[in-house]
Amino acid sequence: MLLGMLASVMWTAGRVTVPLMVQLGLDRGVREDGPLLGWVLLILGAGFVSAVFLGVRRYLAFRNARIIEAKLRDRIFAHVQRLHFSFHDANATGELMSRGNTDLQHFQNVVVLVPLTFGNFLIVCAVTLIMVIIQPMLALLALVSLPFVNVLGRRFAQRLHPAVLAVQQEAAQLAAVVEETVSGVRVVKGFGSEPVQAAKLEVEADDVFDESMRASVIRARYMPAIEVLPNIGLITVLGYGGHLVLNGDMTVGELVSFNIYVLMLVQPLRMLGMIVANAQRAASAGERISEVLETAPRIVDPERPVPLPATGALGRVEFRNVSFDYRPDTDAGVLNGLDLTIEPGESVALVGATGSGKSTVARLLPRFYDVDRGDVRLDGVDVRTVRRQELRRAVGIVFEETFLFSSSIRDNIAFADPEATQDVVERAARLAGADEFIAEMPEGYDTVIGERGFSLSGGQRQRLAIARAILADPRVLILDDATSAVDPTKEHEIRDALGEVMARRTTIVIAHRPATIALADRVVLLDNGRVAAEGTHAELLAGNERYREVLAVDRAAPGAGA
Amino acid sequence: MGWAWGHATDPDDQLDIDATRRVLGRTARMLLPYRRGALGAVGLIVLWTAMLLAGPLLVRRGIDEGIAKGDSGQLNVSIGLYVVVAIVSYLCFRNAIVLLARVGEGFLRDMRTRVFDSLLRQSMAFYDREKAGVLVSRMTSDVDSLQELVQFGLIMFTSAALLLIGSFVILMVLSWQLMLLCAVAVPFVALASVKFQRDSNKAYLAVREEIGDTLSTLQEGISGVRVVQAFAREEVEARRFSDANFSLYRTHMASVRIQCWYLPIVEFAGAATTALALGVGGWMVREGRLSLGTVVAFILLLSTLFEPVQQLSQLFNMVQSATASLHKLYGLIDEPLEIADPVDGVDMPTGEPIVLDSVSFGYAGGDPVLRDVDLEIAPGERVAFVGPTGAGKSTMAKLIARFYDPTVGSVRVGDVDLRDIGLRSLRDHVVVVPQEGYLFSGTIADNIRVARPEASDAEVRDAIDRIGVLDRFEQLPEGLATEVRERGSRLSAGEKQLVSLARAALADPSVLILDEATSSVDPGTEAAVETAMETLMRDRTVIAIAHRLSTSERCDRVAVVSDGRLVELGSHDELVAAGGHYFALYDAWVVGLGHDS
Repeated sequence: MLLGMLASVMWTAGRVTVPLMVQLGLDRGVREDGPLLGWVLLILGAGFVSAVFLGVRRYLAFRNARIIEAKLRDRIFAHVQRLHFSFHDANATGELMSRGNTDLQHFQNVVVLVPLTFGNFLIVCAVTLIMVIIQPMLALLALVSLPFVNVLGRRFAQRLHPAVLAVQQEAAQLAAVVEETVSGVRVVKGFGSEPVQAAKLEVEADDVFDESMRASVIRARYMPAIEVLPNIGLITVLGYGGHLVLNGDMTVGELVSFNIYVLMLVQPLRMLGMIVANAQRAASAGERISEVLETAPRIVDPERPVPLPATGALGRVEFRNVSFDYRPDTDAGVLNGLDLTIEPGESVALVGATGSGKSTVARLLPRFYDVDRGDVRLDGVDVRTVRRQELRRAVGIVFEETFLFSSSIRDNIAFADPEATQDVVERAARLAGADEFIAEMPEGYDTVIGERGFSLSGGQRQRLAIARAILADPRVLILDDATSAVDPTKEHEIRDALGEVMARRTTIVIAHRPATIALADRVVLLDNGRVAAEGTHAELLAGNERYREVLAVDRAAPGAGA
Repeated sequence: MGWAWGHATDPDDQLDIDATRRVLGRTARMLLPYRRGALGAVGLIVLWTAMLLAGPLLVRRGIDEGIAKGDSGQLNVSIGLYVVVAIVSYLCFRNAIVLLARVGEGFLRDMRTRVFDSLLRQSMAFYDREKAGVLVSRMTSDVDSLQELVQFGLIMFTSAALLLIGSFVILMVLSWQLMLLCAVAVPFVALASVKFQRDSNKAYLAVREEIGDTLSTLQEGISGVRVVQAFAREEVEARRFSDANFSLYRTHMASVRIQCWYLPIVEFAGAATTALALGVGGWMVREGRLSLGTVVAFILLLSTLFEPVQQLSQLFNMVQSATASLHKLYGLIDEPLEIADPVDGVDMPTGEPIVLDSVSFGYAGGDPVLRDVDLEIAPGERVAFVGPTGAGKSTMAKLIARFYDPTVGSVRVGDVDLRDIGLRSLRDHVVVVPQEGYLFSGTIADNIRVARPEASDAEVRDAIDRIGVLDRFEQLPEGLATEVRERGSRLSAGEKQLVSLARAALADPSVLILDEATSSVDPGTEAAVETAMETLMRDRTVIAIAHRLSTSERCDRVAVVSDGRLVELGSHDELVAAGGHYFALYDAWVVGLGHDS
């Protein structure tokens, strides 16, 4: 920082010296026939100093700003990774993205400007001082119009910003039409609705045009004015200064240096106007960033963690009188005094209508949320007293919405243990029924998937997610509707393989398809956050009307669910 | 200065001289309707630049004619002229901005609608081939890179170039000897500028790539945070991000360094030429070969000479990337149509059978997907196409909608080849309901109206009622006026399919092609979807690409496709009894439904 200021001082000194030397050269050298070479060399020297320190100060300013930006982005990312599920439920990905992207940019822009502003401020002071010393009255007249450059520059930035935002917004709406047309092209073609989309786009294109013109009118109002203002100073210098020279009160050299000085002030004044406008944006961006950074993670490790038992029959799960709600302020909780025990090695299917709380059960065991009342125990230990890392290694979950990373298939399967050998990875893939389609991929396990890579079908993605969970070898495996997108004709392949996985560990399956449910030793029907019935699939099918209703086995009523 | 920084062109996208000439010629033609505005804008910019150059000349005149000769009248004339110049330059600049914006934004509007029209006319094969993201980026980032050019780049570029040429000419006229001497700095600045332009282009490409990497890592970390936490990998992911993030920092700094050696060179060149002008010019004044005013004008002009150089080297990147974008956009506009609307297209005949006559089909450069298929579908008949994924059953159905044209053979309605039917008439009669219930932004009613934009509200309600789900949608808080993309009112996968089926009911086509969804939906909606399909399949020709037993059971005939061939054809019962391919599929289905447990 100190170095940056020093560089700014040197740059300013070099810069303001040049016109002074030009003036002295013209007056003493040219007009009075004095020695000229000395002035020439002094100009070269001052120019060299100002050039070198121009580079140095710019480098220092940007380095400083980029370091701050990188460190802050690092902190945001690491912090967001640790924040609890309910934080992420409440904050959309796009929102958090803009904290680490656009907000950070706004902030960075100003951090760069701070040292540069210091230099500009110095220039303004030094130049004003020199002009006042040479000719106070002319200095006043020449400079009187220049503060308006600053004022107009600031107002311009303030007016233009909302106009530019409006253009961007219209452009985003236009992009949305294009995006939905391209991704919904099967519908557009299927119904021959090209004219509808074309008309939609035309409206958006007209809006973009109108907003852009509005922004251009603002540019037209301010830019030429800012551009012409220094000319007022220059005309005053020539007019008033010219007459001073005629009267012998000033030299031609001084007139020229005044001219150069006025021009020298334009850029710094414009930048000073800019920073004020930017600073406001940066302040609100910084506020939004610190809001995220100051959110404390709610699910934290206990101070004195209890280790999970490592020997004996492992994988006993107990829910004891558990109540829970995602939003504690509402009346009807998601779980209301749930009691459920699953023995080691047992496989249980959770069945229930939407909102019955079955996915919530799956999310409380790995402690993605903390219960409101009661407790959740794994092998007799309250999950709140276990280190998160240990707990989550012990409980594997396959989410309903599959998320895979844009990396190779191998890396995705070996997510829990990147060091895993190829044999282990292949075994996990086989057990998830994924080995066959992986073998058919262009580069097998090294095929990169995701946005920039190979795109997989929903069913294939789900199978990879299952393989990923299997590789972690958890003592409890939770499959939350994990085969919903698998083609019904292929599902039996996975089922056979899953049988092998389930045989050796506690498994909780959440599913709709009768064939998947039938895999479990025991079926638990949830209703209103409590256990409504238990038994085998066949027993419940025969004896429980609610169970048949939930599975929609009776296809009698058309339009059921209305 | 900063505004032009941030443009770059991939080496692959850089155009050769021929291509550049074609792009420029094409652009000139597209600008023809705007020629008046464009010429006016250019005229104003030229005038504006001239006014900028006139300033120092007027100072020279004031010194030589007024001050040097002690003539205050002449000094006042110069001042008066300067005032006029300032006013004219203000007016020119102001009007040039508005005029140029009108031309440029108008051009962009034309560009957007033309590119989009071209996109809409493309065949399905085109969409199979091209990545959706790339197509969208044509309409967004490629057009946007033109927008910046239109907004200020073009003015800056033109005036910087004119300023440079103008200053050079004036300096030569003032004193060619002095100018030639000062020109020793030009090669250095020129070389530095060329190198800077190349290096900064490269550096910016690197920065852009690193930004993309960092942001996608950021995005992945945030959207995948649940998986990361489920596997307790927070620390590892944070470290991985940190690596990407600091590699972005290093790339940023590399590009800063490029600016940091270039800008001082330009700055020093300005000071050095000023020193030369003063030294040599001063000596010439003393020798009586030059006026003092000329030396002053020289010094003033030189101090602004190098700013345009610096601007040009940065603007060059902007112009280059805009040309590359234009090239890509014209490429899209000129994309040949694979499925063209016939000239003098006839109306689609009604009450005639659909005939596939020894049809083969393959995507360009690929193996044939369908081989030698013969099939006749009577009017009002319901046929299910079944077969394993990738066997060609959907391709077969799409040939009937003319999403593709057969490579060999023909698809006919009665005696009329599909290729001779006007596309409008074809789309009115043949409707394809895709498997995923894709929704556009807007309300539920808007989404259904996609099938027939002119339909009244009553007709839309009637269509939904016909498939039996009117209650279901009307009980939503805002009924049919519910915005489908708004948060909170998200429709389930099954409900989206219902919207899609309601569209088909509204279109009420004589031939309906149903592409059934593979994935299961929540049991509650599944029953409603089945009922809706059943209603839709009445009283028209139906081709169902079936993934479900219940659908193929419901059809009059089943066509089994395997490996690009039509291998079995007959009723459900016949084919089950025959014990072939269909029987095997049937068996797998029954197991999948859990009927055996």
